[in-house]
Amino acid sequence: MISIPDLRIILIDDNEVDLMLHEKLISIQQISRTVLSFNNANKALEFLSSNISLPRIPPTVILLDIQMPEMDGFEFLEAFHSYPSKIKSQCHVIMVSSSLDYGDISRTHANPIVVKLLKKPLMASELTSTIAGIFRNE
Amino acid sequence: MKENRIRILYIDDEIHNLNAFKASFRRSYEIYTANSAQEGKQLLKSIDVHIIIADQKMPVSTGVEFFNEIKDTLPDPMRILLTGYTDVEDIIDAINKGHIYSYIKKPWDEHELQRTINNAYEIYTTRRQLKEKIIELEKINDELNRFIYSTSHDLRSPLMSVLGIINLSRLDNSVTDPNGYINMIETCIQKLDGFIQKIIEYYRNSRLDVEYEKIDFNHLINDCISSFKHQNTSIKFQVDVEQPVDFKGDTFRISVILNNLISNAVKYQKPDETHPMVQLSVKVEPHKATMFIIDNGIGILSEHLNNIFKMFFRSKNNNKPGSGIGLYIVKEALNKIGGTINVESKYGEGTQFEISIPNRNDFDT
Repeated sequence: MISIPDLRIILIDDNEVDLMLHEKLISIQQISRTVLSFNNANKALEFLSSNISLPRIPPTVILLDIQMPEMDGFEFLEAFHSYPSKIKSQCHVIMVSSSLDYGDISRTHANPIVVKLLKKPLMASELTSTIAGIFRNE
Repeated sequence: MKENRIRILYIDDEIHNLNAFKASFRRSYEIYTANSAQEGKQLLKSIDVHIIIADQKMPVSTGVEFFNEIKDTLPDPMRILLTGYTDVEDIIDAINKGHIYSYIKKPWDEHELQRTINNAYEIYTTRRQLKEKIIELEKINDELNRFIYSTSHDLRSPLMSVLGIINLSRLDNSVTDPNGYINMIETCIQKLDGFIQKIIEYYRNSRLDVEYEKIDFNHLINDCISSFKHQNTSIKFQVDVEQPVDFKGDTFRISVILNNLISNAVKYQKPDETHPMVQLSVKVEPHKATMFIIDNGIGILSEHLNNIFKMFFRSKNNNKPGSGIGLYIVKEALNKIGGTINVESKYGEGTQFEISIPNRNDFDT
């Protein structure tokens, strides 16, 4: 259980089954009550940019898939990089992938916005400890 | 019909030679003529010819000089030199400098010249076909590799979802499964995933550039062992690393080699063995590393020893599941980094693999 009252989780994955799995994991582990799922990275970007009008951006963890059609995880990060720091500073990205591609793995390590790369299938304990780790450091 | 005719450019400063050539051959070939190297070059800009015949003795530039000038921009047409003298120097010069296919003595013998032209054209077409085949093969090879990569990923992603669902069902206890079917599904999925991972390993070995970095064998071997230990906890691992000097090598390929061999040593144990063991030793020298992977497992039949490194070969006398690709990947990875492998085995007693990998460390810089 993670006790950050207004923590919200944004899931970005083109695979509907994985979205459902990750939603369930988050609710079973009581990580957050607010989960927003997007099966398309563009829609997630749109949502995040609409957040600019909020008086305060809640702490946000983004679970980002790598391989997606249209816009993949890295393209999402590139676009997100240009967002105002009011939004960016509240967002923590965890990449989630079944990729074994060495190139993908080193690209996630090289990206400063990415906290960690977690492999699918996502393990409840790994997810919880990674998220707990993000807010312990703050 | 006209498309298939042999196109020849003949360059000679003597007009009556050009005319004589045309008169003898215009029925057989499509002929273009020029009376100087300069005019010949101009013609070559607009016409694609198969064979170029040039006279050696011409004012301004000689036949050899002409061939030498065009050989880089027009490497494909076959070049034939005509010369009035049997001047050995000229001929040697022509062959070396201008990449000339043949030379013909003037006055030419019509049959000899025709034979030479036909032979030259045969070589021209063979070379062109060879080039086309190479381009085609490179393209197919590239497509095959991309196919392997994307298929592996697309196959793996739904499998990981299935494993995720299995994990979830255990977490929320929503499935009653007294017969352990879910465990069976999980085992099957993991087996399938293991095979897909092997295919990706093979793909990466064949495509990735070799990269040399420092390797600590103690660390590497312990990493490998820890990922296999849980498969058979009764196995005793003996590790002996002797690394007095630095070793540089390709980490990815060396760990692929070790992983596959250790995995085999763990998998192919005798079921009734009371002291199953796997012995690993590494000795690093300035020029190479020698490794031994020894087990007291089921061993390999001597008639199978020659085949174990072949793709998809599986020994028939064991009931263990295997993809038949592991040792093939080992051999391919060793080929990439210039290593060698030897195997000794006694059926029913155990197997010993000896690997030698060159040390890429440069000790003097």
